[in-house]
Amino acid sequence: MTPHFTPAPDSSVTVRLEEYEADILRGLIGELRAVLDLQLKGDEVLERLFPRAFESDADEDNYRGLVREDLSQAKNEALRAVASGLGPSGEVEVTLPRAEIDAWLTLLTDLRLAVGTRLDITEEKMAAEVDPGQKDATSYTVLHWLGWMQESMLAELDPMSPQDAERNDQ
Amino acid sequence: MRAGNSQFPDCRVGAFELFSERPVKASTEHSPNGRSRNGNAEPANRRGTIRKMSETTAPQRTGRPVGDPRAEPDRPWLVIVWNDPINLMSYVTWVLQKLFGYSRPKATQLMLDVHHKGRAVVSSGQREKAELDCYRLHAHGLWATVAKSD
Repeated sequence: MTPHFTPAPDSSVTVRLEEYEADILRGLIGELRAVLDLQLKGDEVLERLFPRAFESDADEDNYRGLVREDLSQAKNEALRAVASGLGPSGEVEVTLPRAEIDAWLTLLTDLRLAVGTRLDITEEKMAAEVDPGQKDATSYTVLHWLGWMQESMLAELDPMSPQDAERNDQ
Repeated sequence: MRAGNSQFPDCRVGAFELFSERPVKASTEHSPNGRSRNGNAEPANRRGTIRKMSETTAPQRTGRPVGDPRAEPDRPWLVIVWNDPINLMSYVTWVLQKLFGYSRPKATQLMLDVHHKGRAVVSSGQREKAELDCYRLHAHGLWATVAKSD
């Protein structure tokens, strides 16, 4: 099987996706965009993507005032970056700079959080085998597939060499 | 958190609409786009993963009010990452390395603390720094909160 993610010495990564894989991502991205655009009150996915930081309401309001717009913008930018890498249709073979790979990883996370939240996921549900006949089988399969994609991507990345990182440890 | 899947499941499915439309339960209401979406009458069932987790795993309040930072300059603000059932262990480790410059062993240990103990303090400092760190964790999809240290 052709590898999905191939790193180059200049730290760029080539992403290869079959058409059906790219189409799944295109569909999910469209859904995530709708969730972010609609901003439905009480939407559990939004609550998970924009979680509470402080226990007290006053502190939380202050925090939201500071970050909510930036957070929303960051999520939309990651979404646009990946959508642009995927293109409008067909299979994908695209070489991306390292910064865009990070956008792919965070976007895959947001998609997993969205699908998992809609499933009201728990550790137990996550660990269970997916029965093709079960009600939410498609969502579970996609959730696991997104995780597999993310895992494959992470396996090709080394965020920083241990020597460099050590100096930042307390 | 989850360990990664080693297998590539068969994903040749055409059914999108995995999360943009909520599953219809007992009753429905209409969203602004005209679609019917879940309007479950049971507030408890509408709670997201986060709120449920915070209710079951968040520490008890000590009763101490959030202090005025000017009055208590020595108590730093803590940035806490909480366990969640969705994020991959490898991803959480990667985020902690990327955001805080931690070594792989240190980031892995913090990730394991989150996984096994339910939470871990990943950074601390002045309120502004804690808020920025929390924001960066939220931007990466981790469930993080900020609290004054006891």
